[in-house]
Amino acid sequence: MSDRDRILRVRVTATDPTVLHTLLREKRPDVGGRPHRGADRSISIEAYVSPAEAEDLEREGVTVQVIEDATATGRARQAEVGRGNRYAVGEQIPRGLGLKVHD
Amino acid sequence: MSYLNTTEVDSAVVSLSTAYPSLCQLVTLLEPSVEGNTCHALRIGAAPTGTRDCAVLIGGVHAREWGSCEILVHLAADLLEAYHTGTGLGYGATSFSSAQVRTVLEGMDLVVFPLVNPDGRHYSQTVDPMWRKNRNPAYSHGPSCVGVDINRNYDFLFDFTTAFAPHSGVQVSEDACDYQVFHGPAAFSEPETRNVRRLLDSYPRTRWFVDVHSYSEDMLYVWGDDQDQSTDQTMTFRNPAFDGQRGLAADRYGEFIAKDDFDTSVLLAQRFCQGLQGVRGTAYTPKAGYDLYPTSGTSDDYAYSRHLVDPSKGKVFAYTIEWGTEFQPPWSEMSEIIKEVDAGLVRFCLAALQP
Repeated sequence: MSDRDRILRVRVTATDPTVLHTLLREKRPDVGGRPHRGADRSISIEAYVSPAEAEDLEREGVTVQVIEDATATGRARQAEVGRGNRYAVGEQIPRGLGLKVHD
Repeated sequence: MSYLNTTEVDSAVVSLSTAYPSLCQLVTLLEPSVEGNTCHALRIGAAPTGTRDCAVLIGGVHAREWGSCEILVHLAADLLEAYHTGTGLGYGATSFSSAQVRTVLEGMDLVVFPLVNPDGRHYSQTVDPMWRKNRNPAYSHGPSCVGVDINRNYDFLFDFTTAFAPHSGVQVSEDACDYQVFHGPAAFSEPETRNVRRLLDSYPRTRWFVDVHSYSEDMLYVWGDDQDQSTDQTMTFRNPAFDGQRGLAADRYGEFIAKDDFDTSVLLAQRFCQGLQGVRGTAYTPKAGYDLYPTSGTSDDYAYSRHLVDPSKGKVFAYTIEWGTEFQPPWSEMSEIIKEVDAGLVRFCLAALQP
């Protein structure tokens, strides 16, 4: 089983930006999104890591909270991808999600 | 509705070009993807090509950020249908009049390239949902070493080991086996980045560039390599005297951006966020790309830097949208995000056109 077979989405929160910056530089996790700053000077970022990598991120001044099993969620989302070709020649013309409103 | 597969994204672009022939042209990108997929963009505008300033919008760069393609396909479809039928557009609590739709389509060229990385998207949608890079096997030493991060492959501080401070934590790698951010063997080594460069070269009146990504609910403007500053013109990516110093927070180095350009960059980012927030209240943050850690080889920094490297090229105000709070929201949520970002982009275009 490869370490990419099960990926967790985790929130990594550090007591201050320097701690998180050092952690990201040393461990180089796959980060998702951008940092979020807390009112208490804490800073957090989401990462996509194996269970072993999640454990490896934990240290003094850092908490790692599992948000979800990203692999399982991703598989569920793959079921929401179209199977055919809705816009093949002779089929429908794409329409956006905006309402076409008269002035 | 559901997410578009790779074939559907391209078919949608082709279909729009045939449905609205007087308002858009199909642009076939010069190079197919590594797996042989031909890529298409749409040039949208009521005026003849090249007679207006141009906004280039790209998406589908990072494979797992699926909704980026849908955002751009739906934006193109909305603008074309609304202009064609003489209506305005409504997105939640935000609306644009028919005159505003005309302003956009008659006032600028819009070049929409929704799927830069078709191979990666197909792999993400059918095999590994967390896949990010393209699928180039040329530098691989095994299945785990396939692919290049397209948004680290542009020619901006590509030689990051020279340009950045050793402890900057720059988010890029020269290791071909890096699962996420391998930047390739050279700038523009990948057909996907060369296609984007070709678009910028082909539309020399490009003044705005937006690369649609996820996630974090931000609208990012330049720079991404270091903090912005407008006081010391010698501190630039072109000055080798600062090699080895870039990328650290709260140090002496900051990347120079002229005050007027900084103000314009911020203003347009704010307008995008305001337009987006009007839909259902979601607050995106306008901010510089550098935040906690630096980047190199990204599209926005490259696009803005072109006129500084080559003064014969026009200035391009460049942005990265980071939509949403996860890579692949349920479609029901993604459809709401599409409305938000499309409203933001219409507002962005209107603001860009204001003198």
